[in-house]
Amino acid sequence: MIAMNIQIEFLTSSVLSQKAESEKISFIVANLKKGKILVLEDPLTHAEETRLIEATMKKVTSAFPGIEIGTLGDGSVANDIRSQIIRMLGGKPGGFTVIGPSKLVRQIKRDPETLSLFAGDGRKR
Amino acid sequence: MLLLVRAKDINITLGANKVATSKMHAGNSIRRQRVRHICVGDTMGLDALVSWFMSIASIFKKRKTVRLGLYGAPNAGKTSLANKISMDWLGEPVGKVSRVPHETRAIQQKEHVQVKANGHELDMNLLDMPGISTKVDYRDFMKYGITVEDAQKRSKEATKGIIEAIKWLENVDAALIVMDSTEDPFTQVNLTIIGNLEARNIPVILVANKIDLPKSRPAKIRDAYPQYPVVEISALKGDNMDELYQEITTRLR
Repeated sequence: MIAMNIQIEFLTSSVLSQKAESEKISFIVANLKKGKILVLEDPLTHAEETRLIEATMKKVTSAFPGIEIGTLGDGSVANDIRSQIIRMLGGKPGGFTVIGPSKLVRQIKRDPETLSLFAGDGRKR
Repeated sequence: MLLLVRAKDINITLGANKVATSKMHAGNSIRRQRVRHICVGDTMGLDALVSWFMSIASIFKKRKTVRLGLYGAPNAGKTSLANKISMDWLGEPVGKVSRVPHETRAIQQKEHVQVKANGHELDMNLLDMPGISTKVDYRDFMKYGITVEDAQKRSKEATKGIIEAIKWLENVDAALIVMDSTEDPFTQVNLTIIGNLEARNIPVILVANKIDLPKSRPAKIRDAYPQYPVVEISALKGDNMDELYQEITTRLR
């Protein structure tokens, strides 16, 4: 049996909220390339997710073939505005985003209320 | 009186007199080549002006061509659907179909596809987009008997295609989101594509494709996205295409 090291980083909203969108995306991609699984307290918006996919595609190599991503607390425009208002009032909007390198994370499966992360190479041992 | 109307590519400027028109010239020198100036005398009745404007506007409306993007994950059947639509209305296919993912790695376009249904007509530029995914591993292509070199080349082209498809999210007027109805529809890629289009107020129809397959569960797509119209089709067999054309001509105009 081959042991597998998995590093999961939980990032509070303050880590990313001060960064501009491009900085935020670069920061996420750089950490994914290091083999980390990231859990973002502040879920990515759909616009940020597309920027992340774009940035990932520019970095694809045989060692980094891409990512798996799942967001709970949908990043729709309405929800984004709602989140901003909640934050302005000192509260925290619900939801989070999980992202991992696809070499480590086989699949992130979702139903409306749950995200399940399947790690490993998928082979039966 | 000064009225500035901006159509897609042509700006029509209505000025009450030549002075107003020349002032606009000065302030708009960059656009001068694309601007058509029309002077309308103060004596012209408002009703006549409005009706004249409406007739001009209707000409532009009739001529409007909708850029319809076909989006979805790889192997959802986007090119099969684009081929079916193009064959039905132009008599020629759009692109090659393959069971190997990422067969479409650059946007394929058919211009002026005129769809008619239920007394409505729509002129559209059909844009068959590369499938959007979050990963592209050349080793996956080798499972289909492709050599290492070709698989790596295909992988590189596929990543470029995904970037191109994402960039075009800003440029389409309407979209068909094609989903394989044998697969789980509640994927992050589908959610991201739909969310981006929704944020731009771009009308969307969900297409539950491959209903000819025994494992097909189009109801799961309806359950996952209850706020969007869903049309169940088989692009391969041509099932339910009339219903899709009706939806396209009524919802995407």
